[in-house]
Amino acid sequence: MKIRSMKLREAHKNNGVSSFCSILWDLQALHLVTSSSSDTSISIHDPLLPSDTPNILRHHRDGVTALALSPNSTCLASGSIDHSVKLYKFPGGEFQTNITRFTLPIRALAFNKSGSMLAAAGDDEGIKLINTIDGSIARVLKGHKGPITGLAFDPNSEYLASIDSIGTVIIWELQSGRAIHTLKGIAPCIGSDLSTMNVLSWSPDGETLSVPGLKNDVVMYDRDTAEKLFSLRGDHSQPICFLSWSPNGKYVATSGLDRQVLIWDVDQRQDIDRQKFDERICCMAWKPTGNALAVIDVMGKYGVWDSVIPSSMKSPTEGLPSLQSKNSNGLLLFDEEDPEPSTSGSLSDLGEDSHGESEPPSRKRLRKQSVFEDTLEEDVDHELSSYPKVESCKKSHRVHKERLDNGNEGLRSVMSSVRPKMQEAFQPGATPVQPGKRRFLCYNMLGSITTIEHDGYSHIEIDFHDTSRGPRVPSMTDYFGFTMASLNENGSVFANPCKGEKNMSTLMYRPFSSWASNSEWSMRFEGEEVKVVALGTAWVAAVTSLNFLRIFTEGGLQRYVLSLDGPVVTASGFKDELAVVTHASHCLPSDDQMLEFRVFNISNGTQRLRGHLPLTPGSCLTWFGFSEEGQLCSYDSKGVLRVFGNQYDGSWLPLFSASKEKKSEENYWVVGLNASKLFCIVCKNPDLYPQVMPKPVLTLLNLSFPLASSDLGAEALENEFMLNNMHLSQIQKRIEEMEAAGLDTTLLDDEAFNVEAAQDRCILRLIASCCNGDKLVRATELVKLLSLEKSVKGAIKLVTALKLPNLAERFNGILEERLLKEAKGNIAIPLLNSNRAASITADVAGSKTLTSTESSKISEPPISVPPPKLSSPMFTKKAKFQEGAKVKMEKLEQNRTAIAENIGKVKNVEQEKKAGEVHNVGEVKKAGEMNQVQFHRSSNPFAKSSSNNQEKSSLFDSLKKKNDNTGKR
Amino acid sequence: MAGQSDPHFSLFSAEEVEFMAEDEMIEIVPNMRMDPLNLLCGDFGPFLPQIATQVPLWLAVALKRRGKCTIRPPEWLSVEKLTEALEAERESPRVFQPLPFHYVEISRLLFDHARDDIPDIYMVRSLVEDIRNVRFHKIEINLEEIQGRAHAVKIKNLSAMEVNIVRPFVVRALQAFYKHDSPEMIDQSDTTANRRPQVADHVPRRVVRR
Repeated sequence: MKIRSMKLREAHKNNGVSSFCSILWDLQALHLVTSSSSDTSISIHDPLLPSDTPNILRHHRDGVTALALSPNSTCLASGSIDHSVKLYKFPGGEFQTNITRFTLPIRALAFNKSGSMLAAAGDDEGIKLINTIDGSIARVLKGHKGPITGLAFDPNSEYLASIDSIGTVIIWELQSGRAIHTLKGIAPCIGSDLSTMNVLSWSPDGETLSVPGLKNDVVMYDRDTAEKLFSLRGDHSQPICFLSWSPNGKYVATSGLDRQVLIWDVDQRQDIDRQKFDERICCMAWKPTGNALAVIDVMGKYGVWDSVIPSSMKSPTEGLPSLQSKNSNGLLLFDEEDPEPSTSGSLSDLGEDSHGESEPPSRKRLRKQSVFEDTLEEDVDHELSSYPKVESCKKSHRVHKERLDNGNEGLRSVMSSVRPKMQEAFQPGATPVQPGKRRFLCYNMLGSITTIEHDGYSHIEIDFHDTSRGPRVPSMTDYFGFTMASLNENGSVFANPCKGEKNMSTLMYRPFSSWASNSEWSMRFEGEEVKVVALGTAWVAAVTSLNFLRIFTEGGLQRYVLSLDGPVVTASGFKDELAVVTHASHCLPSDDQMLEFRVFNISNGTQRLRGHLPLTPGSCLTWFGFSEEGQLCSYDSKGVLRVFGNQYDGSWLPLFSASKEKKSEENYWVVGLNASKLFCIVCKNPDLYPQVMPKPVLTLLNLSFPLASSDLGAEALENEFMLNNMHLSQIQKRIEEMEAAGLDTTLLDDEAFNVEAAQDRCILRLIASCCNGDKLVRATELVKLLSLEKSVKGAIKLVTALKLPNLAERFNGILEERLLKEAKGNIAIPLLNSNRAASITADVAGSKTLTSTESSKISEPPISVPPPKLSSPMFTKKAKFQEGAKVKMEKLEQNRTAIAENIGKVKNVEQEKKAGEVHNVGEVKKAGEMNQVQFHRSSNPFAKSSSNNQEKSSLFDSLKKKNDNTGKR
Repeated sequence: MAGQSDPHFSLFSAEEVEFMAEDEMIEIVPNMRMDPLNLLCGDFGPFLPQIATQVPLWLAVALKRRGKCTIRPPEWLSVEKLTEALEAERESPRVFQPLPFHYVEISRLLFDHARDDIPDIYMVRSLVEDIRNVRFHKIEINLEEIQGRAHAVKIKNLSAMEVNIVRPFVVRALQAFYKHDSPEMIDQSDTTANRRPQVADHVPRRVVRR
């Protein structure tokens, strides 16, 4: 091999002392940076004009021992014997900051590939990992026993390798900060000679770590196992003190204590060239854009060795993606994963800023960082794909965003373009495919199924919201590419569309627990494609492209195959019931879809319901399912929720409207609902659906009818009134069903009673607002709707207090009619119904005595509310009299008297026009006998309703007082 | 520290202040189903999976430790809000930003127990620390105002931890100044040591009347 000599130029005056010097190229090979450990200055040279005076940075107070340049060449870091690490802007060289300080000299610095993190180490015990944005110490890695002289971030940003002067190499895992491999004594021990440093380096592909060995060689270690792979051994007669990989990883340059530099072909494991120098070369750097190597010796003299690799061989930069393009379009910023989530995008956006506007990269925190990070994360997912692909993905992503940016407009335009063709089949609770991101296949009140495509197959995870109860399901690798899924307590079902001829559509069911092993099953469909799947108690349903509804049992038995009328839109299962939505016909000329729904009861083999599915004009169906009570519900793209109620022999009731919520910046992605609340995920406007990460949180919204704004100004009450009505009819329907089935209905009865009581309270408040709004006819109508007698009395009391004697008279008439009817009924059949009535009236009596005594205490005889039984002002005198009697009785036996009184009262009303005499005493005994029999049966509802009554009486009182006050004024 | 023997001046320890901060409400997202908790301090819940609910911090931390919930960090504990707050703190040397009264303690508790629930935890953490440092520095500057004639220093929006730290110093400093101001007090100082705070209260009034 030929031996040439190279002319070196002095960069640093080392005063004849050999000291460690550093040399670096910037990214585009426009600058060379040098430093020396016996010189306080850093020089930035222009390699094209070597005779020009370099740009000299004098900020350190002692020799500069380490240099590092951020990967995008916008930030230079230097470490010094003066214990400080400084950052400069590059190539300008303006001092930025002292990013950290040590207690002993710094020996090594390294940037990670994204530039967000700087590792610094030296004679101190630990390696500091520093966030370059804010200078915070992310981590300190302790484990070396001697001064640390070399640091290298793995190009895949997973590991950090470090070496110390006694020859120990440690590989750290950045995620956890643990030392995963400690290799002791594999490199030469250099002792206290500060002019050489043990160094180490990762190959550019990150697969091997190269470390100077003990036998004057370079040893290659495996990335993950840290096993010795091979070594480069040849003509070095003394230990190697520096090594550097060519940018493409084909060649390694090594410099030994024997003052020669060797170039190795790594694949051949052979040295291909060498150069002898006068002094020991302590640092080398491959030119990033050509066939050249910059070297600096221990005397501070540097030079560039051109044409290092013979022209017959591949260039050291061949096979690299073009650095120019890489840098100019800023893709470098995205192609790397960050070891620490908190630091991502930090320096790189600094770099980008200064690149575009030549603004100094300041330490100021960037507010847009979060936005930036989003794109970063997305792109990180593509890191395995090649650059052009990344770019195309980015583009498509941007286009996608732009479209979404238009918000609802965008959506509508998309819809309108789709609509003439009728909407595609969809799975309720699924989100669309987003490249490189996890998405929901199914999200319901129970849990979620998510998938992410990765290298041609997908990973599917099943999570339950209630982690303590739901079974733990291991994540699975999906080779089919499932796009449809459904989930319930017992299992999950998956299906994929057919892709080409060899990949048939498959349906797979996975139970979460089963007594038999291998109870998972799958079905394949030839010439047919699964469009929608649904799951219920012990059955699985799939609707296919041939409009077949196939029903399987939990064990995989093919139970039924039905033919549906039209192409399926969606399907949903709940216990025994399966609801399927199909297209009934082509779209109307107005572009409105014609959808039809059917509800099947699988266990009975019946079709329970069938009808048209209403949609808001110009919208499409976006969610379809059952409420927690089993009511059928639909949600369309205009944000209207409809619930199938049994009023008017079954009809769809619009129960929620997103436009009424008046939060235009939010979209609601429905998950489920119960009797009074809608569960949905709120998405900020451009987004129409949630992402898997961060885990979405359910929001509860109140159901409300889209009521017209009435002159009453009590929309909330009117809405409550309507909702209660609906609930009542639901409950009644269920009671009927239960009774028909011969089941016990007491629970439902109680529920119905509670709803009735709530409804009466609501009506009373409505009456109050009607009276205040002078809508007396409406108030009278409302009184007729009151279900409980005591409520009617309450209403009378209310209007009396409101000084509407006219209305009170009218109400009294209504009450009389009612009582007459009831009294007859009571005597005729003291059955369940009357029983309830009796108990209720008893309560009224209880509460009434309360209020009446109260009012007597207040002692406002003319205005005070008389006992409701004689509510109209005409009977005040009698009322007083009775009140007295009542108070006495109360002292005797409260409960019994109260009940007795009611019966007495019934009679009273009958007789009240005839005579003003009181029959109470006599009747107490009579009625007492009768009522005691009934009383024990009704004890339970008594307890419940009494609290209600107290509430109500207090409401009356407050109303009354308010009106009194206004009256006095 | 200062005046531990005198109940008027006794300090709360940091732990005690933290304990008080644990009553602050915070939003959690439970991952289990549980009936409402009826406690002396109030009713919390019901707890439904994935539906956010408000609970006191101590309960949130207890649930978090058992892996039963995720804590939703309060709005102010975000990089964006904290950056704003920090900038505002730095810009105005006199005014303190209205941060939650227990911001130091809450953020500390969340950093300790809910690291995974806070996005950008390193950043958030360093921001909180910066804000704290800036504010302490400002308090020091503000307290330099205490001089012979000053009987009060007005500092708005101080947080619990900050007040707790400066309280003994401020009280004693004001007292000392008062003592040196009024010669008659020097004679009596020993005998009236226990009543000093009350006496100190009267002084500004007398000055004003003059």
